[in-house]
Amino acid sequence: MTRKNLLIGSTFAVLIGGLAIGQRALQGEQDTVQAPRFEVDPMWPKPLPNHWVLGNVIGVGVDDRDHVFIVHRQDTADQMSTNDASGLKMPAECCTVAPPVIEFDPDGNVVAAWGGPPADGKYVWPSSNHGITIDNKGNVWIGGNGSPPATDSHILKFTHDGKFLMQIGKPGVMPNSNDTTHFGRVAKISFDFKANEAFIADGYGNKRVAVLDMDTGRIKRFWGAYGNVPSDSNYGGYNPDAPLIPQFRNPVHCAEPSNDGFVYVCDRPNDRLQIFTKDGKFVKEKQYFPRTLGDGSVWDITFSKDPAQKYMFMADGKNEHVYVIDRQSLEILTMFGDGGRQPGQWFAVHSIAADSKGNIFTTETYEGKRLQKFVYKGIGTVARNQGVVWPKR
Amino acid sequence: MKRTRTLMVAGSAAALFVVAPRSLQQAQAPAFEVEMLWPKPMPNRWILGSATGLAIDSRDHVFVLNHGANFNARTEIGADQTPPGGECCKAAPSVLEYDADGNLVAHWGGPGEGYQWPQTPTALAIDPAGNVWIGGGGGSDSHILKFSKDGKYLATIGKPATPGTAAPVPVDTAYGGAGRGGAGRGRAGGDSAGGGRAGGGRGRGGRGGGAPALPANSASKDAFGGPAGISFDPDGKHAYIADGTRNHRVAVVDVATGAITSYWGAYGSQPDDAPSAAYNPDAPPSKQFSAVTCAVPSKDGMIYVCDRGNDRIQVFKKDGSFVKEKVISPKTLAPGSVADIAFSRDAAQKYLYVADGMNNRVWILDRVSLNVLTSFGDGGRIPGEFFALHNVATDSKGNLYTTEDLQGKRVQKFTFKGVGAIPAKPKAVLWPGSGK
Repeated sequence: MTRKNLLIGSTFAVLIGGLAIGQRALQGEQDTVQAPRFEVDPMWPKPLPNHWVLGNVIGVGVDDRDHVFIVHRQDTADQMSTNDASGLKMPAECCTVAPPVIEFDPDGNVVAAWGGPPADGKYVWPSSNHGITIDNKGNVWIGGNGSPPATDSHILKFTHDGKFLMQIGKPGVMPNSNDTTHFGRVAKISFDFKANEAFIADGYGNKRVAVLDMDTGRIKRFWGAYGNVPSDSNYGGYNPDAPLIPQFRNPVHCAEPSNDGFVYVCDRPNDRLQIFTKDGKFVKEKQYFPRTLGDGSVWDITFSKDPAQKYMFMADGKNEHVYVIDRQSLEILTMFGDGGRQPGQWFAVHSIAADSKGNIFTTETYEGKRLQKFVYKGIGTVARNQGVVWPKR
Repeated sequence: MKRTRTLMVAGSAAALFVVAPRSLQQAQAPAFEVEMLWPKPMPNRWILGSATGLAIDSRDHVFVLNHGANFNARTEIGADQTPPGGECCKAAPSVLEYDADGNLVAHWGGPGEGYQWPQTPTALAIDPAGNVWIGGGGGSDSHILKFSKDGKYLATIGKPATPGTAAPVPVDTAYGGAGRGGAGRGRAGGDSAGGGRAGGGRGRGGRGGGAPALPANSASKDAFGGPAGISFDPDGKHAYIADGTRNHRVAVVDVATGAITSYWGAYGSQPDDAPSAAYNPDAPPSKQFSAVTCAVPSKDGMIYVCDRGNDRIQVFKKDGSFVKEKVISPKTLAPGSVADIAFSRDAAQKYLYVADGMNNRVWILDRVSLNVLTSFGDGGRIPGEFFALHNVATDSKGNLYTTEDLQGKRVQKFTFKGVGAIPAKPKAVLWPGSGK
């Protein structure tokens, strides 16, 4: 596989090298490319009911009915909206914090909302919920990145309407990347339905990918960067001029299995994507915008909906772009979006998911606090950097 | 005497209601739709900061004042850092001029030779001659700057305080967001690798120092106390200053000389610089202003004053004699419900729009009676929703514009759709087609 990629890579290079004009154009923004096109839908979703406002929208998933689920952090809704300066409940008319999980139908209407600590104490809601995904049975999986003492070292599984099914791991356990029963502040859970396995981006405390049996929750295997045994040693902050480190940095932010048997892992602060076989053998890696410091550039990915999953869409919440990537070559074909608060712009684009029609949904953390929809417009000719993709009028 | 008059006005309003039952009033109000895609995205990877000033010129160009005190350096203006943390984004220039189509046609502002840029730019107004006036609500902002419409410095009105003598406290600390709800608030989960330190950095023009704000002096004839709103007589002879963040007065400035010619406090009284007590909806109305954020003259010679912290509009004659007041959403606690005012553009200025940054809506009032007709808006971050709504202004076509402070950081346009019957259940978020 590595050979094959190298081959594709060199063919590509030769092709480019042979076309001096093409190469020059590639470096400019005038060049165009054939790629999936998108337009933001500024009227999706509809305004929330009940004067609800959102905190950091920290996960998005789409079910098989194309219903869109988000999870957001209630405690990050602006206090101004809910409390006065002394912490008293505001008697003002705006606003109240929405429940942590909201389900939207394909038209952008809220059809359900749930989540939060249970009255009966049967499970522990994460102290900082993070990531939401829906499996092939319509069940909803939620991670959490809460830090000590309320460490989220567990995963929750619910029915699609919020009935508790399973808690995997106990909360409050210190991260340990070689723990076989607990997690270390999980960012996101993805699935290989054929194998009945869940792939855990683990996470903000641990530095590994963990694979679970979807029914029992048993950890079957795990690995670190390059397929190494994960280590919790501290490598310090990311330095673009230093050699790449042999471990993931926190957070490991996504672990997406593809139809053709690979797992794509977001090693966010290292600005890199690492690809493995499903049993954890390292295949290849690529860095994106490696000068990016701090939060990093590789936040989340989702694949295109064609059987071959020809394209991959990557959310970069630091540079505020979505990259349309050729999945095989890992090359960026085009990018769109920009920083800002208007439709089609982002502040900290954090999570990305696609529906059955190929539409893309993004959520924003920090002060972005939004869910946005980008309508798939088919494959077409686009600029290498499209900027903000507004509907044509 | 002033009291009697208020009672009389209120009395006649009440009588009117008795004569015309609600069902027969055929209540009418201006209708609006938000422009989903206005203004157009800015170039240069610029990102708008807290938008605290708004004015429309005679060509219906929209001027927006914004500042960086609420930027999160790490996550929001990473490209401005040394070394750059990423490619996004850079703080936009302080003053942005958009044409009616939402194209950015000019930008300027910030510190320069020969004048002292405000610590926390908070007010922007355009005088009838087309010049741009800028005030600041920072802890030591004591002056107003006057520029040509393309940003050439013309004059300083009021004596600037010595730089660095006070902390540049954002004018809207009272919103609770600045410093507390801001982007930088560290929290348990965090999104950074370490979790805790999700914030930290300061944006350009950010808060700094620890010195307290300068003391108020509402009797000063040569300086202001955090001027937060500037408006002009239709003839352009006088400017009315909402003064403001530290002072508790309206100050009148002779535009030709820049001199403060008169001033007054709530109910037309001598302003008092005693700190405003926290607003208590159950207490008797305060005899003083608390955070004066607008002072807008109408064509018929009245001055409409935003007493934001007290949730009220007070109306005066130009000589400062009190006419009447109206409390809006009186249960609203700090920072209050009345942040800014604009009038409809018909000759009679029949309607009055109130920007309410706490309840995140625009109230539509009958200007003369001050009766609330309807309102729109809700909290949130999609088009037509608001967070920390700060300013409201109208253009010659009756379109309405808004800015959002703190983490709202937007300018929005609401297209005027004519005056019509108020729907039985008005929509909060005025998307195109939502009125049907």
